[in-house]
Amino acid sequence: MFRDRRSMVVILVTAIAAGPLLLMLVMNLVASQMEKRRELTLPATGLEHAPALVAFLERQQVTLVPAPADYEQQVRTGDLDIAMEVDADFAKDVAEGRPGKVSLVYDRSRDRARAVIGEVESLLRAYSSEWARGRLLLRGISPDVVTPLRIESRDLATPQSSGSVVLGLIAYYGLFATLMGAMAAALDATAGERERGSLEPLLTTPVSPLELATGKWLALALLNALVVVLTLGGFYLTLRYGPLPAVGVPFLFGLAQYASFLVVLLPMILLAPAILLYVGMRGRSVKEAQANVSVLLFAASVLPLMQMFMQRKEPEWLSLVPIAGQYSLLARVLRGDPLSADAVLVTGAGPLLLTLLALLLTARLLSKESVIAGK
Amino acid sequence: MIRVENLSKAFGKRREVKAVDGVSFAAADGEITGLLGPNGAGKTTLLRMLATLVVPDGGTAHVGDDDVVKHRTAVRRRIGVLSDARGLYPRLTARENVRYYGQLHGLSGPTLDARIDELVTALGLAPLADRRTQGFSQGERMKVAIARALVHDPDTILLDEPTNGLDIMSTRALRDLLRGLRAQGKCLLFSSHVMQEVTALCDRIVILGHGRVLARGTSDELIAQSGEHTLEEAFVRLLGSAEGLAA
Repeated sequence: MFRDRRSMVVILVTAIAAGPLLLMLVMNLVASQMEKRRELTLPATGLEHAPALVAFLERQQVTLVPAPADYEQQVRTGDLDIAMEVDADFAKDVAEGRPGKVSLVYDRSRDRARAVIGEVESLLRAYSSEWARGRLLLRGISPDVVTPLRIESRDLATPQSSGSVVLGLIAYYGLFATLMGAMAAALDATAGERERGSLEPLLTTPVSPLELATGKWLALALLNALVVVLTLGGFYLTLRYGPLPAVGVPFLFGLAQYASFLVVLLPMILLAPAILLYVGMRGRSVKEAQANVSVLLFAASVLPLMQMFMQRKEPEWLSLVPIAGQYSLLARVLRGDPLSADAVLVTGAGPLLLTLLALLLTARLLSKESVIAGK
Repeated sequence: MIRVENLSKAFGKRREVKAVDGVSFAAADGEITGLLGPNGAGKTTLLRMLATLVVPDGGTAHVGDDDVVKHRTAVRRRIGVLSDARGLYPRLTARENVRYYGQLHGLSGPTLDARIDELVTALGLAPLADRRTQGFSQGERMKVAIARALVHDPDTILLDEPTNGLDIMSTRALRDLLRGLRAQGKCLLFSSHVMQEVTALCDRIVILGHGRVLARGTSDELIAQSGEHTLEEAFVRLLGSAEGLAA
């Protein structure tokens, strides 16, 4: 297997390069969003109806530009993030004591636009409340009368935990690497052996099915470990020395986190090749095995995504589920929580048991005659 | 020494395909025994049962004193198999392919290297030995597969259609090799659907058809049994028709 230099090089180079590339991409995206926020340009129509609003917005460093004629279309296609319409009757309504109407045109389904939308909305709200306070003061009423509640936020996010939003990607990618690292080799060592007709001669040697399964698994686990070490190493080096745009996220993926990641991922590094062996051995050809494996891979990669979007606290039992358990543990490492031996053992137990099971099942499969007959 | 008694194997959901149906024969040491039969006669299944890859439904088979069901590992140590599937590892050189199997049989170091050199010379593999097997011709691959099957110096050798796809020169070289092994007192069992192969090489012939033994004996005995003049005619008569003879 290790003689297959070209495949090896592809696997390893991808492992090293993927992390940095992904990070660069994400960080540049984040950086450009932050820039957008700082230099907010707001296309608008009907500005002449609300000179006070214009003055307020300009004070808040917003650049107001006349909106192009087809701004709705441009928002729809994503060329514009947002546009503001000041109603033609704005001045009249305000003069007659009715609320003036300002419309915002945007497409909230566009991730990129979300920050800008929030920014504009909060600016308008601030303008509205400033104006209201002025009116109340004119009438001799304290503005406090209409604000019985004062909301104060104390953000308990540590620098690590705010950084972890971006770093969550590393956790996801690290897990992904454990699944993908040995995949090609695993399929070659199982369905590949069947396809090229080298399994039958192999089974006539005195090597027992369990020895055969274990041997293949050990080789794959070693390769998998190498891929994961390199992938995370790529992240570590990029975050440490890479020319990344400063986006105000403190990067705390140091050697300690690197080591913790490897400890947490170890059970998965061992489990993935065992499962791949079993699934691969069931395939009569590499293609068939690939189809089966991709179903598995899909299920496995969706799990952490669901956790990522899960709003409430994770239930206890989730830590026992392979992948899900590792993912939440990795997220904790990234938040700066210390890694407890208990947690590592609890999340590791499931995958290790499954590894054993998969190996025994693979051995059983290898001792069945159907493994050579079905060709 | 191979002893097969009343061996049976059926496939299919309801075991309706009787691949091997009550086969008995013996193959002695120092002899080459040929299994002759048309395609689908059950030769490969029979050899797979002897190679412990397929478990018989009924009957017994022994390689030496070891039962192929009860003493799988012992049987595997004794036999060298050139199976129907003879895939090599394309990224390994011929020598590495053979060495890998030697190691799986528990050989190592200078003993293994010496054995490989011996086989490389005997099979005329010298010019190819250190090239990757990717792109080898069928004959070249066959030679490597044979070297791989013989690396642990087995006392019993099973060959499934060994001359398939070989040119005349390679076939002759293979025959010489097999005769050499016979002279060393090995027990060789060799299957083929090509009669000329069997007559040219085998001391005893077992004719199989539809999973059963139709006749067995030396070539002369078979001719005498059938009352024909040549083995080909005897074979056709024994099979009841000319089916499957077109090799």
